[in-house]
Amino acid sequence: MTSPTRPSLRTRLRRSPEAAGLLWVAPWLIGGAVFMFLPMLLSLWYSLTDYPLLKPPAYVGLANYRELGSDDRFWLVVRNTAAYAAVSIPLMTLLSLVLAAMLTPRMQRSAPGFWRTDRPERLALVAVFIPTLVPMVAAAMLWMWLFNARSGLINTALSWVGLRGPSWLEEPGWALPALVITGLWGIGQGVVIYVAALREVPTQLYEAAEIDGMGPVRRWAFVTLPMISPVILFNVITLTIGAVQVFAMPYILFRNERGQKAAGDFYNLYLYDAAFVYQRMGYASAMAWIQLLVVLGLTGLMLWMSRRLVHYRVG
Amino acid sequence: MAATAAQLTRRTAISALAAAGAGFIVFGPRGREHVPTGRLVLDYWEKWTQHEGRAMQAVVDEFNASQSRLFVRYLVTGTIHQKALIAIAGGNPPDIIGMYNYNVPAYADAAAVLPLGDLAPRHGLRLDHYAPGVRQVMQHRGRWWATVNTAGTLALYYNKRLFSEAGLNPEQPPRTIQELDAAHAALTRVTAGEVQRAGFLHMEPGWWSWIWGYHFGDTLYDEATDRSLAANPTNIRAYDWMQSYPRHLGVDAVERFRSGLGPYGQANWGFLTGELAMVVQGPWMASQVNQFAPDLDYGVAPFPVDESIYEGAAPPPTALIDTDVLMIPRGAKNPEASMEFIAYTQQPRIAERLATAHCKGSPMLDVSESFLAAHPNRGVRLHTELFSSPRAFICPPTGAWPELKDIFDTAMSDLWKLREPAAQRLAAVQSASQAVLDRAARTRQLRGESTGLNRT
Repeated sequence: MTSPTRPSLRTRLRRSPEAAGLLWVAPWLIGGAVFMFLPMLLSLWYSLTDYPLLKPPAYVGLANYRELGSDDRFWLVVRNTAAYAAVSIPLMTLLSLVLAAMLTPRMQRSAPGFWRTDRPERLALVAVFIPTLVPMVAAAMLWMWLFNARSGLINTALSWVGLRGPSWLEEPGWALPALVITGLWGIGQGVVIYVAALREVPTQLYEAAEIDGMGPVRRWAFVTLPMISPVILFNVITLTIGAVQVFAMPYILFRNERGQKAAGDFYNLYLYDAAFVYQRMGYASAMAWIQLLVVLGLTGLMLWMSRRLVHYRVG
Repeated sequence: MAATAAQLTRRTAISALAAAGAGFIVFGPRGREHVPTGRLVLDYWEKWTQHEGRAMQAVVDEFNASQSRLFVRYLVTGTIHQKALIAIAGGNPPDIIGMYNYNVPAYADAAAVLPLGDLAPRHGLRLDHYAPGVRQVMQHRGRWWATVNTAGTLALYYNKRLFSEAGLNPEQPPRTIQELDAAHAALTRVTAGEVQRAGFLHMEPGWWSWIWGYHFGDTLYDEATDRSLAANPTNIRAYDWMQSYPRHLGVDAVERFRSGLGPYGQANWGFLTGELAMVVQGPWMASQVNQFAPDLDYGVAPFPVDESIYEGAAPPPTALIDTDVLMIPRGAKNPEASMEFIAYTQQPRIAERLATAHCKGSPMLDVSESFLAAHPNRGVRLHTELFSSPRAFICPPTGAWPELKDIFDTAMSDLWKLREPAAQRLAAVQSASQAVLDRAARTRQLRGESTGLNRT
């Protein structure tokens, strides 16, 4: 009688697809655990400590969270960030949808090949998308020139129609509009996703709606929007996360000798200052956890609301 | 197509990737710097780039050639005050760090750098080698933490041609705030509500918005009691004075004018184009003039002070001292070797050569006549004298200064736009600043650290 030979690792993995799957994703699981979940847990602990980075953390309980409640700058950046999100997310969503709706119809009808009739639309789509490839810092420098009150292109264009443009980056009231306008520079990604979603809407639905007597507006409202609603939800969630974490653009636009100090201050700028300028890692960790909870809360709220508003196709 | 796909097996693909990786390791890019064998390598992190970086690299090269035991590697590091902090906290710091003087208190309070009181004298350095004002930035709470390699003092730079055109004597710059106001009024040009030229604007370039009270004879911080003094009556008077400029010209007009000025460091900055007649700057200003506007005829004078400071005769000039410092981080592998390099850079001839290349002043007490004669800044003698003025001052010596400065800068931005009266806003600044100082004190107490302060 011979003892049964132990099957090779390859054989065992072939027999157990679950184990093989886990092995393949192991680098990400280990990486995620070591470089994401462990630091997150540590930051939760640090948020309960006074931690000036160069000295060991000292437990202070909920003192950091209590201090945030009475910190004027914290509430200022919360207000500024909330205002930015409230204005920029609907505006970016609306503009992306309008652009996508303008570009899609001919793209859908065009036959493939070199002589396709939708070339202008495709070029427009490329033109809208290209700005998203420009590095943020380079884009911010460009916007600083465009917003120049005396010689910038925006105010020069306004002067052609008899308007005197504001000092976009210097006047407190114009800091938020300026930042929202720079945000619109990056809607290309949303437009591409919406175009793809719009092209996936079955044409039979439009034909049926037309037979039922629906005009273009009602077709858009009762056919198009429900059909692309999962994509809208996805885009709004990612835009919300991005808006709450806005950092690079206001850092460059407003953190210079002439920029707005208070009106150009946002949540992540303060978080960064607390951690790396003021050496208050515990305080910054508390801010980061509040931010995470707010983002989770908003995402959860949107998903809950989406149960009635978002239509998922089955099959 | 199917046959081609079948030829590319997983094993072949992995082998190809492994071969590419091995090739990269063997034949890939190498660091340009050749480190001679048998030497102790010291990493020196510094913020300087371009001509300033090249000048410091020359000093490093000279040091490396002067002996055979140590080899210093010069590494340019952006936002060095943050990266150095993280490196020190991570236990892998460089051997020498080059920072600004306002980093010294924060680094010293955090025990991020080594005290030099014992180390420096062993390498021939003494505090009294340095100009009296410079010694202030090297010490914190009575201990020696940093050495200074280049230094500057702030002064008034003015355009002599514009002075002549406005009927002012270009050889008699304003000495008092009241004379500065008069010169500003004479030099400013406004056409149809648009400012075409400004005599002086406090916020150009706005790097030192917190200094005006000092030119009225006040201070922002009492180190002995750890108290913010932002709302002192004299400070309020100084910021009332600051607000008088935008109030007179109109906030919108001033901001539109400023928005059109290029930033400092570019050829279209207002002082270089003649749109600003007077600015407060350090000796490095001359490098901008020499590079971008070599024909600009400029004068240099102590920045004016309020008439109330005059006690019969002219008082000693008031000036902020702003320097670059060298420190040894906690955890440096060989502090003696680091100090040896630092001591090499502190020799008067090296310090003067570096200061000339950087267009700054020498921090040393004794300065050679050849240095003053050959310096690219025509006002270098004044800048050097200011180092020894009894009224020379440094930024408030507290580890909380970065946070206090942010509070102050935000307030200045609002005050400049006349959003609040100076008295009201400075009271809020004092209250917020004191809260930061008190919190820092509580933190020290929590850790059982000595405050080193005489709080009352």
